[in-house]
Amino acid sequence: MKKIIGTIAFLLIFCILFICLRHILWIAPNPISYFYEEPKNSLDIIYIGASNAFTSFNTVLTYDLYGFTTGLLASNTQPFGLIKYLIIEAEKYQKPSLYIIDLARVVNTMDDYTSENIRVTVDSMKFSKNRINAINSILKYKDEIEKKEYFNYYFSFLMYHNRWKNPTKRTIVGDNTLFKGFCLNEETSKSIPQDYFEWKKGIKELDDECEQILVDLINFIKGNNLNTLFVVPVRKFDDEFAQEKINYTCNLLKKEGFNVINFNTLEDFNNIDYNTDFYNKAHVNIYGSTKYTLYLSKYLNDNYNLESHKNNQLYKSWDEEYNRFKANFNSLVNKDFDTFLKQIEN
Amino acid sequence: MNLTSLVFLGFCAITLFIYFIIPRKLQWVVLLISSVIFLFYDNLHISTVIQALLVLVPSYIIAIKIEENYNTKKAKNFLIFGTIIIIGQLIYLKYTNLFLATVNHICNLFKIDYQFNFVQRNSLIGISYYSLIMISYLADIYRGSCKAQRNIFKCATFMSYFPILSSGPFIRYEETGKEIFEEHKFNFDRMRKGLVRILWGLFKILVISERIGMIVDSIYGNLNEFNAVFTAFAVFLFPLQLFTNFSGSIDIIMGVSEILGIKLPENFILPFFSKTMTEFWRHWHITLGAWLRDYIFYPLQKSNAVQKLTKKCKDKFGKKIGKKIPMYLSMLVMWIIIGVWHGGAYTYIIGSGLLQFLFIVLEDLLEPVADKITKKLGIKRNLFRYKLYQVIRTYILFSFSMIFFRATRLSNAIEIIKNMFSINLSLLYNKELFMHMIGNIGIDIYDLAVLIISLIIMFIIGLLSRNESAREKLLKQNLIFRWGVLYLLIFVIIVFGCYGVGYDPTAFIYRQF
Repeated sequence: MKKIIGTIAFLLIFCILFICLRHILWIAPNPISYFYEEPKNSLDIIYIGASNAFTSFNTVLTYDLYGFTTGLLASNTQPFGLIKYLIIEAEKYQKPSLYIIDLARVVNTMDDYTSENIRVTVDSMKFSKNRINAINSILKYKDEIEKKEYFNYYFSFLMYHNRWKNPTKRTIVGDNTLFKGFCLNEETSKSIPQDYFEWKKGIKELDDECEQILVDLINFIKGNNLNTLFVVPVRKFDDEFAQEKINYTCNLLKKEGFNVINFNTLEDFNNIDYNTDFYNKAHVNIYGSTKYTLYLSKYLNDNYNLESHKNNQLYKSWDEEYNRFKANFNSLVNKDFDTFLKQIEN
Repeated sequence: MNLTSLVFLGFCAITLFIYFIIPRKLQWVVLLISSVIFLFYDNLHISTVIQALLVLVPSYIIAIKIEENYNTKKAKNFLIFGTIIIIGQLIYLKYTNLFLATVNHICNLFKIDYQFNFVQRNSLIGISYYSLIMISYLADIYRGSCKAQRNIFKCATFMSYFPILSSGPFIRYEETGKEIFEEHKFNFDRMRKGLVRILWGLFKILVISERIGMIVDSIYGNLNEFNAVFTAFAVFLFPLQLFTNFSGSIDIIMGVSEILGIKLPENFILPFFSKTMTEFWRHWHITLGAWLRDYIFYPLQKSNAVQKLTKKCKDKFGKKIGKKIPMYLSMLVMWIIIGVWHGGAYTYIIGSGLLQFLFIVLEDLLEPVADKITKKLGIKRNLFRYKLYQVIRTYILFSFSMIFFRATRLSNAIEIIKNMFSINLSLLYNKELFMHMIGNIGIDIYDLAVLIISLIIMFIIGLLSRNESAREKLLKQNLIFRWGVLYLLIFVIIVFGCYGVGYDPTAFIYRQF
């Protein structure tokens, strides 16, 4: 009996030490890891997508304006095939009234993603059967060599233990450039002028693999009766026929009865300035994101029955994060955010 | 199945769990099933199944035949027949290319315009181990030191006992064979000791060996970029890589076996503390040395041909020298076999065979000379500094021989030696170039620091283990100290181990043999 108790105690201490260590030697915090920190059933909207999601949609500004909360399940170069599993993940912790799905990556096949692209999403997910299913769904498209690395995907510590040489401040104390998932840092506050681009009107079918993933997602959303809005963010696409393929996707989704907004073709969303509102060709900066957020949050408020949590003490952290965001904006851009907001609104 | 992989560790955990929960009479069946899975895990093919059966079935039948004809000439013929079948297959699978390379060289020498293409053989893991183990099994039955196994499945279990298939040690039926079929009750202390040994093995491989491997690979792979100092650095590091890799594997294997309740013979006993090459080989790959001594060297010495030669030599050169010449010849045969066993290439035959033979013979021949010189110079041989000199000398000799072992071909070995002795003093003082080389040794300053600290720890543990194993000492300590050391060891392996993404662990150096 003494030996059994001793063994259990040894293993328990090991687990505690391992969890502490894992926290330090882990992937840097990102919007998905912050999603898990939100209280259960406290999010009204879940916004899923790649980097455009966390650089375009300012969750704390939306909250300040209309009082509803948005969780971002967003990660860099997020494979479109993982969206279904992120919805399953979201459903475990939240009961959102609406899902917003970013369509920017619908045109990419699995060959376009490196293992780092896949890992940043799946490694941010909590260990569960859903995470394993997500990994399997992606790896089935990968070649045999990568499949041999299955273990590295399932047990992510096999990768992150190497971070002992450079555990960053971000991994230890968190990322202070994220505000309820929305990203504002030195890079996203810069203005890099871009050439104006005309959105092509043609239509081209998706590759079989992408179409299969999209159809699978549609069936999943319909099967679970999830209220969903699809969006195409303002950005340039490098891939040939990407715009035509997105047009095809938008048409298909509309036929299936979904709401779709392509911000590149919206007539009343015309205040984006290509000289000041981008930090690179694929991402809007803080100015562009504010315009995007103002439009989208109003649209959401007008078209969906979303509850305001303003003045609710349980949502105090959203006010705190909004104030922290404003302070950060002021220090990065050297402008007062409220004044800046008024300028845009006018 | 890589010994440090989660697959192997999980496989062992499942095997151990089933082993201790099923009726004890069936424990050996669990070992058989696990061994079959291990054997064919990476290489399930009709040819590999035939390979295994081609050793198992003849060994099983011939063992019974030898026993039935014990002490007759027939028994000897059966033993020879069995050995030929096993060795024949081993040669066919592992040494065809060595043979073809030799023929090609001869063709070149005689300017014959024909070259044989090398062949790709699909051989099973552990074939070099289980082939020799089965030869010793037949020889032991022939000598009457053990009984033939009448159950072919039990025979298969002994032949393919999974822990030893990748890196040994060599086991014998009269010792380990019996233990495999004994019934074992779960023992907590055995498990504790076994796990500590597994951890120590993982530390040696993942924290030390893999890091040294990166340095050695970088320098050996880019000799043109490194000067003599760095080449020598790689040359002297390689034996440590080999030792930590090989003995670490053995520690994992011994640990798993210890938990099962099966005691395996030790394969390493502090070899780098040896003062002579003879002593070194008594502490390095002990079971291979013992196997060759018992089944090659002694039978050769006792053979009629060698006995006759001894007599002739004694008559011609006197008793002392006359006795040594046939002994050296037997040793030469044994060392060539050791070289050949290590791999089908001349680099192995020279590195782990002929050079070892040369060093041992020279040590033997020069011992009286060294004795005279030290006496004349008044050097006390029992002083620490003299012993240290001997230990360093042995390490240097072994390191030199391992240049051939590590080299891809003979010309590569010669290139390494040339590079090591091409001392260019101006390069030594060129700080910029030196820093460039430091920056290209395959690991960064952090990894180098981890490596140096780990080597110091291993050295201290080695010193502590001279009389009683450090593991035994640790387990006698109070709980806080004991657990503290264990947690430290576990987390050092987890954090500083070279595994997972970003590392490409080299295959176990001894796995290929």
